[in-house]
Amino acid sequence: MHKGLHTTLKIAIRLLVGAVVLFSFNLIYWKYFWMKDLDKHGPMLYNLIEIQDTFDAFYFGESSNFTTHPDDYNQLRISDNISAEFEGWRLGALNHGAYHVGMFRPLVSRVHNFKNRKTVIVTMNLRTFNQDVIYSPSEANLQLSTRFYKRSPALLNRVFVSFNYYDNRSGHERDLLKWKAWTYDTLKSTYDSISFEKNTIRRWCEVPKFLDSNGVQDDAKRQLADQYIKAYAFQIDEHNPMLKEFDDLVGIAKRKNLNLVFNLIPENIEDAQLYIGDNLVWLMRSNRDFLVERYTEQGILVVDNLELLESKHFIDRAVIPQEHYDAEGRERVGKSVANALKNQRTNVTDPE
Amino acid sequence: MLFNSVAFLIFLPVVVLLYYLLPQKFCWVLLLAASYVFYGSWKIEFLCLIIFSTIVDFYVGKLMHRATEKWRRNALLAVSLTANLGLLFVFKYLVLFLPPMDPMIANIYTVDHPFLGFIVQGIYFTIPVGISFYTFQTLSYTIDIYHRRIEPETHIGHFALFVTFFPQLVAGPIERFSRLMPQLKEKHQATYRQFQKAFRLMLYGFFIKMCIADNLSPLVDMVYDNPALFNGWSTWFGTFGFGLQIYTDFAGYSLIAQGAALCLGINLIDNFKTPYFSTSIGEFWNRWHISLSNWFRDYLYIPLGGNKVSLLRWSVNILAVFIISGFWHGANYTFLIWGAIHGLLYLVERGINARKRLPQTRLVRFIGGILIFASVNLAWLFFRIDTLTDVPNHVSQLFHSTGATVLELTWPLVAMLGVFLVFELLLYNNRIDRLLDKFNLPLRWTIYALFVWCITAWAGVTNHPFIYFQF
Repeated sequence: MHKGLHTTLKIAIRLLVGAVVLFSFNLIYWKYFWMKDLDKHGPMLYNLIEIQDTFDAFYFGESSNFTTHPDDYNQLRISDNISAEFEGWRLGALNHGAYHVGMFRPLVSRVHNFKNRKTVIVTMNLRTFNQDVIYSPSEANLQLSTRFYKRSPALLNRVFVSFNYYDNRSGHERDLLKWKAWTYDTLKSTYDSISFEKNTIRRWCEVPKFLDSNGVQDDAKRQLADQYIKAYAFQIDEHNPMLKEFDDLVGIAKRKNLNLVFNLIPENIEDAQLYIGDNLVWLMRSNRDFLVERYTEQGILVVDNLELLESKHFIDRAVIPQEHYDAEGRERVGKSVANALKNQRTNVTDPE
Repeated sequence: MLFNSVAFLIFLPVVVLLYYLLPQKFCWVLLLAASYVFYGSWKIEFLCLIIFSTIVDFYVGKLMHRATEKWRRNALLAVSLTANLGLLFVFKYLVLFLPPMDPMIANIYTVDHPFLGFIVQGIYFTIPVGISFYTFQTLSYTIDIYHRRIEPETHIGHFALFVTFFPQLVAGPIERFSRLMPQLKEKHQATYRQFQKAFRLMLYGFFIKMCIADNLSPLVDMVYDNPALFNGWSTWFGTFGFGLQIYTDFAGYSLIAQGAALCLGINLIDNFKTPYFSTSIGEFWNRWHISLSNWFRDYLYIPLGGNKVSLLRWSVNILAVFIISGFWHGANYTFLIWGAIHGLLYLVERGINARKRLPQTRLVRFIGGILIFASVNLAWLFFRIDTLTDVPNHVSQLFHSTGATVLELTWPLVAMLGVFLVFELLLYNNRIDRLLDKFNLPLRWTIYALFVWCITAWAGVTNHPFIYFQF
């Protein structure tokens, strides 16, 4: 045989055998090792697989769903409070601290296509859209888990993780991008009575705050005020990566015929007003309006709980603006979502 | 671009394909462009440092070759040394003399002053990858011209390729101009045999890096972060585990580099030869990071007088070479001590041999091997530990552990360690591509399948850049 042809044949046989071996490895991995890896590196998908055939609906949440606060009169989660309003309706809660829509989207894509239309409630946290979350140092670990959630062959996902095929930029690199955004992303008012003299987060934070008559600053209050600016002084636009994630999520839900519900969870508007004032509250409300309008137009039920709770229900209010609610707060959010679902059932369709 | 990245798995075949499709006269352009892309993918700003080093050494080399007066040649050598060691000093050692900086402050400064900020970042946080390797490689070029061992390169593009050739750019092996440059200029034909060898080298390299080093890394980190938490066995495992981690990490890198270069028809030197089977410190350094050991021998030890000086002077020189080689690894006193320990061990060993040469029986060699393995691994403690003040606590935990936590070793890791040990024994004085030639086809393919399985299903999960990238 011609030497070139012989070599080509030799290579072709090897490639074929290699492909068969890899295909078999994928089966072996999927059958015997995948769930162990998920348990360790992709816990939410592990939980979803465990519960998805036995529950009627799913609640995707982060730390806002539960509490670790010892003084709470009960430990019920928001999802438990929703579930309690529907007798016999089993709502499976899937929550993980620091998760956001970037993780929820691939997870929802793993929900099976059921005959009965299932309801999927996804937490919509306003702070998810800010630069602090987008460039969070914990994002690399979250992205690693997300790789396991993708709808690719199990072994391929494993290979992609070990060959660093996910956004694994370091916390230091992300911090630099965050400071760039805080320095250059400008705020613009579209409302007559609101104007931004200090139109970037950095400049706004540099403004002296809480000065007494002697010009001495109350450092604790000032730091908290700055946290509010960093958390909420942004304007969602089409370039926001989290908006794209929510858009994709809507597309997935439509393809899978899921009843997708966004639970826009409460923020501490009262303290935002107290520490910063009208400008910041206007930003929070205009972002809320943007989201509610955008997704309602797309036929998604958006439960607007942004201003549902007073400051006293925010457990960490003295330290940081964060969506950790006391028992009453979680109960009220749960009831609000349940009521919206009941209205939807009356008006459109059964949540199941 | 990391070797263990999907980007590299695409990048390499594309470069190789183009390399064999292009006419020979354009190959250097392709390889140079590929090397700049490879390096620039880390931080494009750092390319200017490598280009600076290239330009300086290219023209210094040319001028030095032409110069006949001693003082002119000395001055030109000084220029090269100042430029390269200056870069190394600024980006690697200057931090020792500066006050500490908060990473957040550095980031804010970088936002406000992008150019100066990139220098500040380089000094404090993101040392330019491979700076110690390429500066040493270019230094060897100018020193060789100074001693008239080689003729200078006349084409700046070819010289730039010698400095940046991507398989060995970021962590060696540190190649010599006389060895690498002719290969870069040569016309290479793609052969099945060459790709077979390259595949074997890379496969075993990926196996030891991704399956052994990356799986050991979290265990080692846990023990070094808080040795008081673990029981005696776990503390010993974590401490000795680092020796295994750094070896498999770096030897894995070197094998992948050799494999990648071989895809282009270029042979890089062997950087590791089963060093943990050495029976003396001298032998260890002939088997560990060989290209660096050779560099220090040729460009520091021999110029200091080699073994043609008094015993006292020789001892001081040996100690100095080891301490400097320790310091080459990083701006921390722990590296100095690590180097000094090796220097002292070497002197003690030579002292014993000078008084009475031990018979090289199997038993003596075995005992020697155990002692060297233990000493080298205990010395790694200084290499890995963050600060000197942590050393007493770590050592006391080795002998009087206060913790009860047991390191959890998964059975796949234990199995892979077993496979690795078997191969290390088989690879004594051999190389993986040659070893596999001895096996028949079914056994060879079983071994390939075993490595592929380990790499795809059991490799370490969290992101672990190669340890030597930081040097």
